[in-house]
Amino acid sequence: MTKAHMYSHSTAAMLATALLALAPETTFAHHPIHGKFDPASDLTLSGVVTYVDWRNPHAHIFMNVGQGDETLNWAVELESPIDLEANGWSEATVRPGDAITVAGIVARDGTRQIWGDSIVRSDSGSRVFEVSLEAPPPPLAPRPAPRWPDGRAALGGTADAIDGYWSFPSATALVEDGVDVTMNSSGLLENLDDAGSVAPMQPWALALYRHRQNRSLRDDPMYLNCKPPGGPRQYMSHHGFQLIEDRERERVFVLLGSGNRNYRIIYLDGREHVGQVGGDDDNPLYYGRSVGNWEGDTLVVDTRGFNEDFWFTSGGLPHTSQLRLIERFTRADLETLEYEVTIEDPGAYTRSWTSSWTLRWVGGEDLPFHLCQHNRP
Amino acid sequence: MRISTWSLGCALLVLGAVGAASAQEGHPLKGSWIGTWESNETHGEFVLVVLDWDGERVSGIINPGTDNIEIAEATLDPAEWAVRIEADAEDRDGNAVHYMIEGTIEDLELPNRFITGTWQHDGGSGAFEIRRQ
Repeated sequence: MTKAHMYSHSTAAMLATALLALAPETTFAHHPIHGKFDPASDLTLSGVVTYVDWRNPHAHIFMNVGQGDETLNWAVELESPIDLEANGWSEATVRPGDAITVAGIVARDGTRQIWGDSIVRSDSGSRVFEVSLEAPPPPLAPRPAPRWPDGRAALGGTADAIDGYWSFPSATALVEDGVDVTMNSSGLLENLDDAGSVAPMQPWALALYRHRQNRSLRDDPMYLNCKPPGGPRQYMSHHGFQLIEDRERERVFVLLGSGNRNYRIIYLDGREHVGQVGGDDDNPLYYGRSVGNWEGDTLVVDTRGFNEDFWFTSGGLPHTSQLRLIERFTRADLETLEYEVTIEDPGAYTRSWTSSWTLRWVGGEDLPFHLCQHNRP
Repeated sequence: MRISTWSLGCALLVLGAVGAASAQEGHPLKGSWIGTWESNETHGEFVLVVLDWDGERVSGIINPGTDNIEIAEATLDPAEWAVRIEADAEDRDGNAVHYMIEGTIEDLELPNRFITGTWQHDGGSGAFEIRRQ
């Protein structure tokens, strides 16, 4: 378990990120693991690999296991191929015919599926498919943020600075600043009694949040139906995002590495909120409609016009179509993006509230190509 | 006006063309609901309900386009997900009819969650069930 509550200054954020990466129960999976698999039902299986299914959003190994007089085929679920490959594993790490031992937790629905906490090759005794997404160590001295010719800090790459993207969020679920609650990386509270502290929810919203938590977040539409990670959630995925400043046309593109590789446009040309999408301003969107302006080195973004078809954070905090976000993006140094969001939603909350976290720069790399696809679990 | 089988059929056809219930992760009552109020001789057995939430109160209409019964008061008790709807209408002779509907939300987490309970007015009562579209 890890604390999801964030601290805005970067040293604490780095420490939190490191703790997150080292925590043994931390997973970075496409869906909340405990939504599909029961943490109270441990199982160890030994058998022979029959097939390796190396596809997003999760790789699977199928194995034959002798149980009594029968030989049964089990599906072993792993992290996404992106995360596995980032840790040096491949489709050929194990092959059909290899003998393995799997320890993990089994599916809640009683099917022969197991989440592979530990997979050990029988021939060598070596453990395979381990995933760690620890952030790279920060530099001893912060390096300055790259700047445009007019002196303003660049949120992404510039013509003179190497391109990259933002990842390693120091928070993976929304919690009001100053609140100290313990939850896992999927936003599942360690203690449900903390639910009322997470944010200033109206009674119906708190009851719905508790209901979602009670069901171990298994109803999350981002996982069930590949719904986009709208709102602050787009900045809480370890698959990251890219900020592309189109200064000539006065707009910023937000390209997402998670979800379905969606994008969002922040207009900086002084336009109003209405009429931005073909004049269809009554059509609420997953990412809303965004206009912004600069306050020094900070990009301030005002977003409205959200639909209610998605969860705007891991953990299941509700929102309504009255949601309005005021976001502040500040590149503190080359490696650090400070993000702060103020949530105004009189449909679900009793007052406005703020949450903030930091992200790390991944220079010289493209966004991971992660897709929620294949209608797979 | 009693909602006719023909108009209900048209409504179901339109909703069917739209497909399965669209996701609705906000206030659980918001949306369009279709179902039955059994043994209702005043307004027929089939019922359409449209509900909305503005942050403070639930509003809505019953049988829009035919009976156009404005909901006078609707409440949701999230402790039990209990729903209570009151509405004033007229029967075919122009007499006032006050509806009281009480039920609970089931399958809360699903887009096509449903409300099950009872309806009643001075001239009748019965089972009530509507499912979100």
